[in-house]
Amino acid sequence: MEFVGEEIDYTFVIQKVLVLLFCVGLSWKMIIYMCNLLNIEKDPIRVLITGAAGNIGYAIAPMIARGMMLGPDQPMILHLLDIEPASSSLEAVKMELQDSAFPLLKGVIATTDVVEACKDVNIAIMIGGFPRIAGMERKDVMSKNVVIYKAQASALERYASEDCKVLVVANPANTNALVLKEFAPSIPEENITCLTRLDHNRALAQLADKLSVPVSSVKNVIIWGNHSSTQYPDTNHATVSTKSGDRPIKELATDHNWLKNEFITEVQQRGAAILRARKQSSALSAASAACDHIRDWFLGTPKGTWVSMGVCSDGSYGIPPGLVYSFPVICEKGSWKIVQGLSIDAFSREKMDDSARELAEEKDLAYSCLNA
Amino acid sequence: MAKEPVRVLVTGAAGQIGYALVPMIARGIMLGADQPVILHMLDIPFAAEALNGVKMELVDAAFPLLKGVVATTDAVEACTGVNVAVMVGGFPRKEGMERKDVMSKNVSIYKSQASALEKHAAPNCKVLVVANPANTNALILKEFAPSIPEKNITCLTRLDHNRALGQVSERLSVPVSDVKNVIIWGNHSSTQYPDVNHATVKTSSGEKPVRELVKNDEWLNGEFISTVQQRGAAIIKARKLSSALSAASSACDHIRDWVVGTPEGTFVSMGVYSDGSYNVPAGLIYSFPVTCRNGEWTIVQGLPIDDASRKKMDLTAEELKEEKDLAYSCLS
Repeated sequence: MEFVGEEIDYTFVIQKVLVLLFCVGLSWKMIIYMCNLLNIEKDPIRVLITGAAGNIGYAIAPMIARGMMLGPDQPMILHLLDIEPASSSLEAVKMELQDSAFPLLKGVIATTDVVEACKDVNIAIMIGGFPRIAGMERKDVMSKNVVIYKAQASALERYASEDCKVLVVANPANTNALVLKEFAPSIPEENITCLTRLDHNRALAQLADKLSVPVSSVKNVIIWGNHSSTQYPDTNHATVSTKSGDRPIKELATDHNWLKNEFITEVQQRGAAILRARKQSSALSAASAACDHIRDWFLGTPKGTWVSMGVCSDGSYGIPPGLVYSFPVICEKGSWKIVQGLSIDAFSREKMDDSARELAEEKDLAYSCLNA
Repeated sequence: MAKEPVRVLVTGAAGQIGYALVPMIARGIMLGADQPVILHMLDIPFAAEALNGVKMELVDAAFPLLKGVVATTDAVEACTGVNVAVMVGGFPRKEGMERKDVMSKNVSIYKSQASALEKHAAPNCKVLVVANPANTNALILKEFAPSIPEKNITCLTRLDHNRALGQVSERLSVPVSDVKNVIIWGNHSSTQYPDVNHATVKTSSGEKPVRELVKNDEWLNGEFISTVQQRGAAIIKARKLSSALSAASSACDHIRDWVVGTPEGTFVSMGVYSDGSYNVPAGLIYSFPVTCRNGEWTIVQGLPIDDASRKKMDLTAEELKEEKDLAYSCLS
């Protein structure tokens, strides 16, 4: 190597720096590897479940405790909240969780005190809400729920961990999430979501059934809009994995009439169908979808795959900002991002706008209840 | 290369234990995260619509491991080709019913299910009886399915085992995964004997006996035992329904350890066909400490049994003998 007088040989320096960086990187990887071998356990994550004494709570608690929500090596502490009349059932859920000897479950707090429940939680699954009873008007259900979500918003904002991720399940999910967001202004709005993964999974299943393929080979359906009967299950960008790669659904499901009609109504009304068959609303599949929603948010979506999440609209796809609307998203490093640039045909546009209109009405109704 | 799916039967699948259990199976908790499954769900015609609702929900959950669901009220269709059978269905005890009545209804159910399993299940089908009276239902099943190897017929006492671990871990304020090797001896009833004499806790200075750390033999010989024995009733009192979540979870543990094997140095409790070990009469389904390897369980031998334990173990054996006699009287 030639030293040209007093000049610094940059090539030499750069080479040295690169070698140094390489060594540091390699050493770091070795340290991480050895730590994993020593099984240094991660710190437990605190997960709040509201309405925990109910059916969805009973289904979701063991799923979380088994690592279905956060991964098989992530310990957790469960915070279970419900109302006073359910305190005995709530205590029983805690007892059963203890009786199951789950290795990942590092503690259970079962309480009717919302402050204790919200303290330091990193994840909040809001299942508790006022269910619609026969004879109740929409306005009445809305009125009861906005009061609940306004109160829970305050508690979460004051006591939850700063980075708390919130998933609203209780219906009307989108509007409950909106109310929560409005009354917890210091929670970043990207941390407040609602569940439409159930509809997303239902859509995947219907397609898989129609094509007689395993459900794991279908992906990238989209649920647009409200978690209600105006939701729009969109197959325009969905694919099926075949021997010759991923093929568009529309190529394989040649009955496009079915895709635009029965398929859509089937998914929209599946909740009611389950209710008719079981005489109870879906708990198992709702709980499972909630785990999927959080897991993908937390751990990231697989490459090339997106999922549906109800999130605060930023105006993408012509959807009014200020609504909690279901979009196609990918997740990476604990954040979701709306998938941009998907083509929207006239049929889809109409349905997406219908659902947005309904959400705007719900928002108005909610505000009128709050101001009443 | 994906594994071939394993067929798992759940009877009484429209009930609450079934509802808790099927998503656990479909997520790989029972057989492992890489083992695809096909669920066979059986229930009585009265529950057919609800059963179909469960199938719909399983489909709606888009479980990657779940390769098929058969929901049926026909025992033959349900049993065909199954590799694992979890018998949750049975006649529940209602208020005012005598033991003899409950026993009588259940022995008929288990006699007929025995035939169906024997004729249609896959060879080497592993059977777990959950429905109470679990031990005696399992015994009936064994008696009327003579071509199913007796080692393949077991009953669930893993729930009691896990409850015992939970109680010890609460008492010592240690993670439950640090406690192991409790034993549930005998009948899955209030005569079960939760034995901590060989149980240990992982500490910074190695594994220490539970008795040494708890330092309260009165509690271990008294309240601890009755709490575990009566936990089922305590749950019913609080929930107004019997334990489903924890029963389902324990059923997964029971099958998983049986199929995949117990960890080195750890034993678990399973209701199995007694071979006379520990002077427990042969010919009963009795809960013993077992280790599992290569898909088979083996009773842990050579554990010292003190007098107090001996008495309790004999008491529960006696109850099982009485249940067996009662069952046979119902059948005759």
